[in-house]
Amino acid sequence: MKLIDALYKDAPLATRNEITPKLGFLLTILLALAWLIPFLWMGVATLRPSSDGINLMAELMPSLKPTLDNIRDAWEIGDFPRYFLNTTIICTGILLVQFVTITLAGFAFARLDFAGKTPIFYLFLMQLMLVPVLLIVPNLSLVVQLGLYDTLAGVMMPFFASAFGTFLMRQAFEAIPTELEDAALIDGASLIQRIRHIYVPLSLPSFSAFAIISVTSHWNDFLWPLMVINSPDKRPLTVGLSVFTKTAEGTQDWGTIAAGTLMVIAPLLVTFLIFQKRFISSFVTSGIK
Amino acid sequence: MLFSRRLMLGLAMAGSMAGALALPAHAGEGPTEIDLFFPVPVDGKLARDMGTLIKEFNDGHPDIKATAVYTGSYDDTLIKTRASIKAGKPPAAVIMSANFLLDMQIENELTNLDPLIKADGSTKEQFLGQFFPALSGNAVINRSVYGVPFQNSTPLLYINADKAKEAGLDPNKPPQTWAELTDWAKKLTKREGDKVTQWGIAIPCAYDYCGWMMETLTMTNGGRYYNEEFGGEVYYDTPSMLGALTWWSDLVSKHKVHPPGATPGPAVSTSFISGNAAMMMLSTGSLTYVRENAKFNYKVAFIPRNVRNAVPIGGASLIIPAGVEADKQKAAWTLIKWMTSPEKSAWWSRATGYFAPNMAAYKTPDMVDFLNKNPDAKIAVEQLDVAKPWFATYKTVPVRKNLEDEVMLVLNGKKQPKEALVAAQKAADETLKPYNAETSLKLP
Repeated sequence: MKLIDALYKDAPLATRNEITPKLGFLLTILLALAWLIPFLWMGVATLRPSSDGINLMAELMPSLKPTLDNIRDAWEIGDFPRYFLNTTIICTGILLVQFVTITLAGFAFARLDFAGKTPIFYLFLMQLMLVPVLLIVPNLSLVVQLGLYDTLAGVMMPFFASAFGTFLMRQAFEAIPTELEDAALIDGASLIQRIRHIYVPLSLPSFSAFAIISVTSHWNDFLWPLMVINSPDKRPLTVGLSVFTKTAEGTQDWGTIAAGTLMVIAPLLVTFLIFQKRFISSFVTSGIK
Repeated sequence: MLFSRRLMLGLAMAGSMAGALALPAHAGEGPTEIDLFFPVPVDGKLARDMGTLIKEFNDGHPDIKATAVYTGSYDDTLIKTRASIKAGKPPAAVIMSANFLLDMQIENELTNLDPLIKADGSTKEQFLGQFFPALSGNAVINRSVYGVPFQNSTPLLYINADKAKEAGLDPNKPPQTWAELTDWAKKLTKREGDKVTQWGIAIPCAYDYCGWMMETLTMTNGGRYYNEEFGGEVYYDTPSMLGALTWWSDLVSKHKVHPPGATPGPAVSTSFISGNAAMMMLSTGSLTYVRENAKFNYKVAFIPRNVRNAVPIGGASLIIPAGVEADKQKAAWTLIKWMTSPEKSAWWSRATGYFAPNMAAYKTPDMVDFLNKNPDAKIAVEQLDVAKPWFATYKTVPVRKNLEDEVMLVLNGKKQPKEALVAAQKAADETLKPYNAETSLKLP
């Protein structure tokens, strides 16, 4: 209980002796541990020499003779710096274009009046219900016709418009009082200026919430990049990593898999740790939980 | 955008034009560039071995530049190949799961290899004569060659010899029938109260593997899994399959010597290597992995029979998709012949554990040497005498999943074998309906 007391020393005096917040803390710590164990295992397995054999593979106790062999193996099988670069280009490229498209589309659905607005919006939302696999062949044909087969641009293209993002921005913009826009209108602000100086700054939490969702989903996407990319030097991380993990006939080298996985998730993990506070507050204020 | 193909093409063209200007005597257009799609069905290190193989090919063939494109699992490879054919960008060659060839041929997605064989001055019989006869079933469709066997497997029974001795069993006389296998599994299962600390046997059941193991058990039970002559019929609801599934389910729920639930291949091999399962049925493709990782003596044996000895072929063949241009087809054919030659076939077999489909591979000095040191690698080859083609129908993957979904329910204890097989047959008949409407039920 000492740990909890320590965590608790900043709490307001009145609540310090209540039992419920303490239970809450305890529960949080348990959940955190449950969350941490796979990461811990991954770290331990990465450093475990293969001479330890598969018997010890599931153990959380680190090996007494840690080795970097697994990391070296994984590093040699795939050109990981290149995969990192490709994934980063894909995720940033998609996100930047999405910011423009979802802002404009979200604004149109929230504030503009045009014929068939509601049906068009629902049509837009229907995109959320389509399984991406269904669209692989038509999307790929389009990518080929545009001359983007086997390019990173081809991987990004289908995601430039986002139904979810549009929906999210529409909700955010609708929550902003029209009086603010009216005031700007009186001052002679153009449409773009109103979006730029009123709607966007007031919706920053929604933007960062969307950024997290967009980046993590495209960081993890496997099937679509696998379809578009042929050249080994244009592979993203997921395709590179799957060389270790996708097996049909039944063998796996857990040490190398752990090392490869660690290399793939490390950047996301570090980013999350650095921007943790900001991420959480953006989710809380944007209302997605 | 950043690495747009047009830009690259432009640069390449500018480069080759500059080259042509500088060296007017050289009239060639540079090497033919081809892609080879390859799945990694066994172990990540194979991706490195494949890189070595293709580099060696390119070094020896300056007029061809092949690129090995990694394409995920067998199922992912089929999706990617199909999508790229439909989008008009087929790769020149693909290492394709051997049982997908029939479905692809029905959909007109394969190049008939007969003209290429003929152009070499060879006949179909001579060409196929290099390979084990059991492999023809998955390579020849309507008497035309559509695939070249490259990495092939059969299921094997792996036995932890140390544990067998410990239990008073003789690992040199492995179980030959289901009855003996059940008996071995019972003796090899260890319990502490209700908890099992060591399983007698583990058989994988995950998508792709599950169908293959069901075919294995059904065949050793005297049955057939599908109509080998015609892609529109499967025999799920039959006595031979009911017996096979009931026996498998009995190992789990009646004798309690097989871990419950559907276990994927890697989990099975891991528990065998760790001593958690004393026997397993797994592909010969895992043999190299077991050899390198087992810290105990192990034995490899034929799959035990109930009625007869039989195993299905597994693994993959090399194909040329439909719609590949003539010069690329020719380059791909050169690559395919090189990869399936005795030396390369033997090298790949030693690296992976798959058996080499080219019979002459077993006469190369390196292979003779290797087999002397590792007699276990011979078992899969010996088993070829009783091998039959691998399950292949119209829409192979969905038809296979129709059965696998039901088998998983049985192994999870949620369904009885009979009702599962009836449901599987109904679902498969539904999946096969369009093809039958076009063929067997289309009456004049």
